[in-house]
Amino acid sequence: MAPTRTVKSKSFPKDGKSPKGSGKPRALGANTKSKVSKKPKAPPPKQQKTKSAAPVKKKKRVYTEKELGLLKLNMVTPVGVELPKGKRKGKVFVDDQESMMTILAIVTADKEGQIESKMMKSRQMEDIREARRKEAEARHEQRKSKMEETKDSMRKKRKRKPNVRVDTDPLESSSKSSKGAKASGKRVSFA
Amino acid sequence: MRALTETETQTLFSKLANYMGPSIKNLIAPADSNPSTDQTRMIFRLGNQDRVYYCSEYLANLSTCVARENLLSVGTCLGKFTKTGKFRLHITSLNVIAPHARYKLWVKQNGVMPFLYGGNIVKAHVGRWSEDCPEHQGVVVLGMDDTPLGFGVTARSTAEARRLEPTGIVCFRQADVGEYLREEDTLFTTT
Repeated sequence: MAPTRTVKSKSFPKDGKSPKGSGKPRALGANTKSKVSKKPKAPPPKQQKTKSAAPVKKKKRVYTEKELGLLKLNMVTPVGVELPKGKRKGKVFVDDQESMMTILAIVTADKEGQIESKMMKSRQMEDIREARRKEAEARHEQRKSKMEETKDSMRKKRKRKPNVRVDTDPLESSSKSSKGAKASGKRVSFA
Repeated sequence: MRALTETETQTLFSKLANYMGPSIKNLIAPADSNPSTDQTRMIFRLGNQDRVYYCSEYLANLSTCVARENLLSVGTCLGKFTKTGKFRLHITSLNVIAPHARYKLWVKQNGVMPFLYGGNIVKAHVGRWSEDCPEHQGVVVLGMDDTPLGFGVTARSTAEARRLEPTGIVCFRQADVGEYLREEDTLFTTT
């Protein structure tokens, strides 16, 4: 559309016709119109050729920032706000049995692992508790036996004391008999 | 009503796996279903107020005829997604969970009422329990006549619970059938 107009304006001065004539024909009768219309039909291709040949320099394509995928300057885009390229927008619904089964398999494996680890942990704890209990029991037993030992030793000491006194005494038999008589004579019972 | 997204499905399954273990398979593909007919295929749908419903695909397709604001419920309500993206099971899901429960706890007759009034289960009220149950594991609570009463989370592992005093808590209540009366006003409301 636009190129034909420019062609007209350029071609008419060469032919020697006034630009007025070129402008008016449409308003004039059919004869004039056909004349004018016939003339420009031939040149346009030539003219267009020359025109296309003249601007050889190809216009450099200017890429926008979006096309290059550059980050905008002085802007901070938080992680997660911008969707990754090529990812579809919106929700992904799960409605078929296969995908449900896949999700189920993942979840079950996860849960099984958790339960298993819990059980293992509880068993280990149980073992530790059992060992501790046994150890405490053994210690208690040991302490008890030690106590018994000391008690026994004390008892023995108590029994031995009079013997020592007897040893110092020259008249062993007489003192023994006298002691026995004393014990039998002085016994007091409240029952 | 819409299908669940991948993350939603994963959250739902991991919660259900707490109580059911690997038998969730039976929910997705029931053993008695015929693959040639889609009428028995069971699916999950997200309804109003982020509630998740479990129903047959046939029913879900029929429900599309009802306007969203007029649709109160479809199939069985399993629970709802919280604002933070976690899933909370409702007591209405007991019918779905109980037949496939992995760990069970039977409550004696004297412990039924305290549980139905919203109390935790103490050791003295336990009639039987599944062996090798770790702590913080989902369990279904049953009466001694095998009636499902609710579900909870174990406070102690089975081994630890054996050494517990009779007043010690063995299971924290999560939901019980008493909620049908206690939470009557809010359990099925949509606004």
